[in-house]
Amino acid sequence: MAKKDKAAQQEKKNEANENEEPNFSDEEGFVDRISDQDLLGDILAERPKETDGVESIIVVDKGPRVEPEKLNKFKSVINSFFSEPGQIVSAYYPVGEDGKTKGYFFLEYASPTIAQNAVSIYNNAPLDKNYTFAVNPFTDFKKYEEIPAWEPPTPEPYKPLPNLQYWLLDPDAFDQYIVRNDMNLVQVWHNTLPQPQVICEKEGWTETYVQWSPLGTYLVTFHKLGVILWGGPEWERIMRFHHPGAQFVDFSPCEQYMVTYSPQTENVNKKLIIFDIRSGAEMRSFSLEMPAIWPIFRWSKDDKYFARITRNLLSIYETPSFGLLDKKSINVSDIKDFSWSPTDNILAYWVAESKDGPARVVLMEVPSRKELRTNNVFNVADCKIHWQKSGDYLCVKVDRYSKIKKEKNDIKYSKMYYNLEIFHMREKLIPVDSIEIKEQIHAFAWEPVGSKFAIVHGEPKNVTVSFYNVKTKQDPVCLKKFEKRTCSHLFWSPHGQFIVLAQLLADSGALEFVDTNDFASMNTTEHFNASEVEWDPTGRYIFSGVPQWKSKIDTGYWIWSFQGKILKRYNTTSFVQFAWRPRPPTLLSPEQLKDIKKNLKKYTSEFEQKDRTRMTKASKELIEARCKLMDEFKKSITKRMQRWKDKKKRRLELRNHVDTDDLEGADAGSVEEESIEFLIKVEEIPVE
Amino acid sequence: MKPIILQGHERSITKIVYNREGDLLFSSAKDKTINVWFSLNGERLGTFDGHNGAVWGIDVDWQTTKLVSGGADNTIRLWDCLTGVELGCLSTQSAVRTSKFSYSGTSIAYSTDAALKQNCEIFLGDVRGDNLRNPYMTLPVRDSKVTALLWGEVDELLIAGFENGEISQWDLRMAKEVNNICEHNNSINDMQTSKDGTLFVTASKDNTAKLFDIDTLECLKCYKTERPVNSAALSPVYEHVVLGGGQEARDVTTTSTRAGKFDARFFHLIFEEEFGRVKGHFGPINSLAFHPDGKSFSSGGEDGFVRVHTFDQSYLDYRFDVGS
Repeated sequence: MAKKDKAAQQEKKNEANENEEPNFSDEEGFVDRISDQDLLGDILAERPKETDGVESIIVVDKGPRVEPEKLNKFKSVINSFFSEPGQIVSAYYPVGEDGKTKGYFFLEYASPTIAQNAVSIYNNAPLDKNYTFAVNPFTDFKKYEEIPAWEPPTPEPYKPLPNLQYWLLDPDAFDQYIVRNDMNLVQVWHNTLPQPQVICEKEGWTETYVQWSPLGTYLVTFHKLGVILWGGPEWERIMRFHHPGAQFVDFSPCEQYMVTYSPQTENVNKKLIIFDIRSGAEMRSFSLEMPAIWPIFRWSKDDKYFARITRNLLSIYETPSFGLLDKKSINVSDIKDFSWSPTDNILAYWVAESKDGPARVVLMEVPSRKELRTNNVFNVADCKIHWQKSGDYLCVKVDRYSKIKKEKNDIKYSKMYYNLEIFHMREKLIPVDSIEIKEQIHAFAWEPVGSKFAIVHGEPKNVTVSFYNVKTKQDPVCLKKFEKRTCSHLFWSPHGQFIVLAQLLADSGALEFVDTNDFASMNTTEHFNASEVEWDPTGRYIFSGVPQWKSKIDTGYWIWSFQGKILKRYNTTSFVQFAWRPRPPTLLSPEQLKDIKKNLKKYTSEFEQKDRTRMTKASKELIEARCKLMDEFKKSITKRMQRWKDKKKRRLELRNHVDTDDLEGADAGSVEEESIEFLIKVEEIPVE
Repeated sequence: MKPIILQGHERSITKIVYNREGDLLFSSAKDKTINVWFSLNGERLGTFDGHNGAVWGIDVDWQTTKLVSGGADNTIRLWDCLTGVELGCLSTQSAVRTSKFSYSGTSIAYSTDAALKQNCEIFLGDVRGDNLRNPYMTLPVRDSKVTALLWGEVDELLIAGFENGEISQWDLRMAKEVNNICEHNNSINDMQTSKDGTLFVTASKDNTAKLFDIDTLECLKCYKTERPVNSAALSPVYEHVVLGGGQEARDVTTTSTRAGKFDARFFHLIFEEEFGRVKGHFGPINSLAFHPDGKSFSSGGEDGFVRVHTFDQSYLDYRFDVGS
């Protein structure tokens, strides 16, 4: 190669010698009319600028001011401190009039990426306990210089929301419910009489499941990027909330705020987000260090406070600041569970037994943090807090043991017995009644209004359902015991009085409808394999369902009247979810309600009239449909009968001219008589 | 009314059939025996002994002189009804699934199961002269297996229901398949004609029973349930159809009889509305038959019992409201 090159050069030289080089110099007095820009603009544009390479420079601030004699040592410290991402190419330490450095300095790296790394590594990095560096890229100067002047945002044109409460205006107060199938086809039904109707239907409306907000205003759907709220008569999208992977949603009781939980999100600080529903704004986000019971945040009845527990802390937050109440959590070692009163800003929590003392149930007023009542209980294995919906009573079901055995990390309790500690919230000093039940308690439920509660206790296959009444200054009275029942769950009507005793375990589905005024069992029936039961918000209907994910056969949902009369069976193989649309509390005053109850007869006759009209119309429609079917069938029959008549001759031929078209046909005379004996009675006579 | 329970079989009932007058009820079972009973009091008249395996299909001619039966012992047999004497027996290559007398009672049709190297076939035999001769006609069957068989109105048509839910119709004068439909998507377990023979009802494992015109194979009605339907019968006097079936024995995982839904279910023929149920069996119903007078019906179940139910007056008086 080298030889060849040399040869080529030689040749060139020879050429140059042969043709003498022309003179390229400008003539005297020549004025160049073409500017450099025109001639080589493209090359000039690439000319290095003074500011080139600024991306590789970082500004380090909040450093110490160093005297000149120490500067060299400082430089070497800085050099080694900042050289982790890459070699420092140059450094500049501005010096003030007093000779000391100004506390800030500039470092240049070999490339912008290294500089970027350096910013992320060293920003807020402490040099020692006195100095913590603030590190910024040099380009920030430019960035902040160029911030455009603030313009007041133009107001968004007002878009009226649809009437979110429209369904409450239904003149007949028919309720709504949603039904979802396994392909996420979501249907909103209107529970009209005599037949419910679908009012809205969307395929793939959600990606997982749907949920109503607690007052029924919104329907929540879940998507990859977050959740969406729907509502109004046209089922419009009301608001979108961005929270990738959100799987759970919980609302504050007044529907002002919403908590979304995304268990798998990569952003650990945003596992839980609280949104303001009406503005859609994110109010605060939380991380979640340890597994917790959903809902993690529990809200006070007026949306003013929300609380969560972590290992030994009870944290109460305020709205709308979303900061901790009194800026600190409450230290409660071994706090196990807590629950807000449904009607007052009172919080009940219980603390497990420890070396220092017994288990405690505490009632705390918020925000004063005053402990209204503390109840000590001994030999406690577990507690369950049950508030009555009207907030009049609180029952803490205490599982107690007679013996405890510790094996490594396992604690084994034996000889269990159960206590019901009943707190009278509306009485002075909150007196507590205690009922001891020897048998295992499977279910507990307060009557939502009134002072009754029901418990299921005994052997799982043969339980007793007991009803108690709580009274002022008296021990609770056992009103009634239903013995030898199969029952695992209790469902009180939202307005009390009626209760459904349900066995929702596998291979059962027994349902018993009881009126607790006289403890009459109105109906005992079964929806085989049912695992879901829910009252409608008015206490008129009950749904029972066998979702597809629980059972392969007989999936579907049934609707019953409160008396246990089956109204409708929908047996659909793809059924997965059913939910009644909740209703907000009534706006009628207690006096108005009393008045209505007094004049019930008047209203009853009105409604009965309405029902009759509807039934007549429905039966008329049914009869019309039947008549139509009958007519069609008769038409098709005529042709067939003609054909049949035509073949009469052939038929007779085939059967030796015996007419067998009628049972009592031509051969009736030839029937032989046969005597037949009937067994009438069996008598046993002992032989003497 | 209290049903009469006929306890004459030790295993599942496969087929029950009334004679034309309805005074006798024949029943066959997996226990190799065929019984005949007085339908009025449930007294057993006699047995037809000879099969060496489950008896799948039986039929009686219109004069109640002969009985034909086919079974898992690869035989088709002809019996004298009066004496119970076996008149003839023919061996087949595989189990005989169905057997039927023609309208005239001079021919029988029977079908055999598909087995190893053996395709399903339909045979037609002459039974005049009180013996069983070799079949005079064989109809080849394509891929599926015949599970139900019917004669058309006047010995000219043959209709077969298949395991895959198809229904085929042959014109026997030409020995040619003239129609084929697919209205069911699972095995057709039973087909029974109306009293006049112009309609027939199918019972299918796809949880439905359907009503067809026997000539055109036009599907007229559909009766839906939640369980496989094993048998369906048309009332000779009312526009009623009764369906029987239930969860298949091998699929019964629960002991609750309510879960299996072993009730006989009554539907209105035209409105397709269910209006009544008769409980009783504690296994699926395998075969149903109306008494020719329409005042009683019988069911034979997987539980081995035949139940003869006489209708209450309320059933006979019941009318659907169709206005005035």
